Amino acid sequence: MSPWIYGALFLVFAPVFGGLLAGVDRIVSARMQGRVGPPLLQPFYDVGKLLQKQARQVNPVVEPLLLGHVGFMAVSGALLLGGTDLIFIAFIVALAALFLVLAAGSVNSPYSFAGAERELVVLLASEPFFILMMAAVCKVTGAFTFAGVLASPQLVAVQLPGVVLAFLLVATIKLRKSPFDISMSHHPHQELVSGLTTDMSGRMLAYVELAHWYESALLCAFMVLLFNWSIALGFVAFAIAYALEVLVDNSTSRIKWQLVLRSTWIATLLFSGGNVLALFLLGR
Amino acid sequence: MTSLIAFLIAFPLVVGAILLVITRASIRNPIVLVSAAAIGVASIATVVTFGNGDAVFFGLPGGIVPGQALLAVEIAMTAFIVVISLVNRRILAPIMAVAQLGIALFLELTGRMPEADAGRLFWFDRLSMVMVLIIGLIGTLICVNAIGYMRDYHRSNPMIKGRRNVFFSLLFVFLAGMFGLVVSNNLPMMLVFWEITTLCSFLLIGYTRTEETLGYAFKALNMNLLGGLGFGLAIALLSNQPNGLDLAKLTAGPVSGTLLAAVALLAFAGITKSAQMPFSSWLIGAMYAPSPTSALLHSSTMVKAGVFLLLRLSPAMSGSAVGYMVTFVGLVTFLFVSLVAATEQNTKKVLAYSTIGSLGLIVGCAGIGTPELAWVGVMIIIFHALAKGLLFLVVGTIENRLYTKDMENFDTLISRLPRVSVLALAGIAGMFIAPFGIVVAKWAAIRAFLLVPGGQGAAMIVIMAFGSSLTLFYWGKLLIKVLSMRSVSAYERSIEGRISRYEWLTEGALAVGVLAVTASIGIISDRVVGPYALSAFSAGPQTLLNIEPAMLAVMLAAVLFLPLLALRVSSRSYDEADFYTSGRGSNAGHVMGAALGGSRSVTLRNYYLDGVINGALMFRVGTVASGAILVAMVATGLVVR
Repeated sequence: MSPWIYGALFLVFAPVFGGLLAGVDRIVSARMQGRVGPPLLQPFYDVGKLLQKQARQVNPVVEPLLLGHVGFMAVSGALLLGGTDLIFIAFIVALAALFLVLAAGSVNSPYSFAGAERELVVLLASEPFFILMMAAVCKVTGAFTFAGVLASPQLVAVQLPGVVLAFLLVATIKLRKSPFDISMSHHPHQELVSGLTTDMSGRMLAYVELAHWYESALLCAFMVLLFNWSIALGFVAFAIAYALEVLVDNSTSRIKWQLVLRSTWIATLLFSGGNVLALFLLGR
Repeated sequence: MTSLIAFLIAFPLVVGAILLVITRASIRNPIVLVSAAAIGVASIATVVTFGNGDAVFFGLPGGIVPGQALLAVEIAMTAFIVVISLVNRRILAPIMAVAQLGIALFLELTGRMPEADAGRLFWFDRLSMVMVLIIGLIGTLICVNAIGYMRDYHRSNPMIKGRRNVFFSLLFVFLAGMFGLVVSNNLPMMLVFWEITTLCSFLLIGYTRTEETLGYAFKALNMNLLGGLGFGLAIALLSNQPNGLDLAKLTAGPVSGTLLAAVALLAFAGITKSAQMPFSSWLIGAMYAPSPTSALLHSSTMVKAGVFLLLRLSPAMSGSAVGYMVTFVGLVTFLFVSLVAATEQNTKKVLAYSTIGSLGLIVGCAGIGTPELAWVGVMIIIFHALAKGLLFLVVGTIENRLYTKDMENFDTLISRLPRVSVLALAGIAGMFIAPFGIVVAKWAAIRAFLLVPGGQGAAMIVIMAFGSSLTLFYWGKLLIKVLSMRSVSAYERSIEGRISRYEWLTEGALAVGVLAVTASIGIISDRVVGPYALSAFSAGPQTLLNIEPAMLAVMLAAVLFLPLLALRVSSRSYDEADFYTSGRGSNAGHVMGAALGGSRSVTLRNYYLDGVINGALMFRVGTVASGAILVAMVATGLVVR
């Protein structure tokens, strides 16, 4: 089967995966807090309703930018499974994330702007890790595509323990979990109202949510790259990591952007950088 | 073709001489326009008549060897530098200029300078061809743009004495120097053109003759003369080597011994001219000159001469310790200027740091010396020349309209100057999103660095990871400001109407150029840059990276997205909806309620990483680190021999 079919499958099924993940997340979080929680499919109902609502746009660039955000996020996942170069994917995902920042920034309002700036900071915090991770995966397997890494006899995670460790930390940013959820704040009563989505409503919000689902699926695919023996193993690793994220999310409070940047950069440099250095020195 | 190249060198010199004595704008402007058009046509004609693309060597008609004439030009330039420095009470520049002349005189008078091969004075290949097009098309567009810009510049800066005849004269002499440089094969001749560009940039930076700009001008002169001195020493080392002064023969493959020492010194010269750390400050200082000067220095001339020489040297440095150190100078510069750029609020300076960073990537590619990385380097040169030229001109236009260079004051640009922001977005997209603006360059560089063995390979990749993320951050901040929207008054909308047609014409042409080159990247790669890279390297793997169609399609979509969006928005009005202020404010003027019933105005300021990254400190750290590597590089070259 042509790898492009996998790419097409990603376009269709990634939102289903991401939405279900969000549903499970809400139930598990609720149980941790002693609540019952919403039905599993609640995220889909929410997005469905958002799409029906009247969309008030603060200005005419928000919607195109958000469509760009969803579009590039979806396409980068499709390209990843379709066999495009892994390092290139790291750059395109960052570009896709940037569109959300631009949409919020274009509103020119206090809360959206603060959210946009913080999102830009967390992008800066997380991006070095993803570039290093992709480079390290390519170095270990000698392959530059998703299928190539899966076909490699090496179990990547064994060679890249530092990268796996840093992944857990940086994924917190991408999954918008506390203590790194400084740009949007899913929890109520925060100083940022709801950060970069403050001035988005109706289908604008639906786009943001959809893009987040794609991004969650992308992260899962990245995990498969690290646990490349089989796709199932990657999913299991992702499930464990996600459970940890939910636990941390419910037991920590948000930190300042300075600390987010410092901690992720130091972790990336020490764990991933050290791991990459060891790889090169050991001549792999 | 050979006569066309002679025309490209001689004609701008003649135009420069004529413009020097013309003080009336009504006569000068048509001359500038017609000459620029002539140079543009001639540079295209040169390329069209180039034939099958194999390297061509040729000399002057009648087999003349310009030894004495070169010396005469050098003496004249040195005398000029000595006089102008002493008048302004500077001592460093004349010392270096005289030292360099001393080397040349010593070689000439003691008969050590070998006779140049009359048939191999010039070297024209695909790399020269790319450079000739960049100089002939982008450089001349900048000259035409300056007609409109300088008029407004002197209107808004009435204190500055207008010497526009000198300004335009220098622009054309600069082009002549660049044309000569990129077709030179004989190193002593190349050095003369090299110094012409140094001198022109010195005079252009110091155009306003204020104490501040004179300081920057002399800084540029000092640093570039130091590079020139390195160039002169390299010539001295090469003078007793067979075929040493023939650039094409010198760089045919990896070298060792005395030749490597000379290559290290030449690379040193290239590094000074391309404003790598520790020599970055001269290019930052150049920001205080009028914008066409910045555009010219950054995009099509000057710094491109530096990376051009490094790419020429790349096959010779390949695989040597000198080459690796050149790469690290480039990469360390890329990382640290990106850190500084993330903390910088002056838009022109952000652009300057971004230039130095992009050049750092090219230098990093050149040092490794593989066809793949040479291909990347040339591609960055092309995209950078177009997009950066455009961006500097656009920022200049904005500066003359809004009277600011501060990034924070560029907010709501898309509402205030909608058509200008289309151009700005085309430039940013070309620089930051386009293939080879940055993204593919970074991708290809990391791919190649993965093959570098040992700890240095790991260091290169870590530097790329952090440096790349920083570019995303500072371009993102500029984009936020440009794309933010608000309702504007009729007066504000009218500002855009006062931009001169010269600026619209040239900036529009460059924006179209960015998109056209992006669209035709496959052809440029297959027909020009790819064959160049493969033919320049005899050793090593003869492979190039494959840009898949899917990647290309995504890139094209990304490049077109923002300019098209701006174009759509600029053509229609909209009703502003209120944004959310927690019920404590009003949208007009960004006022919010404060304690005790008062109110405070809200300022939306980008994050400059205050408290996390200290820009000034990073600049110093980078300068010291890169300087140490540079010293080690020259020492390795000289000692290991």
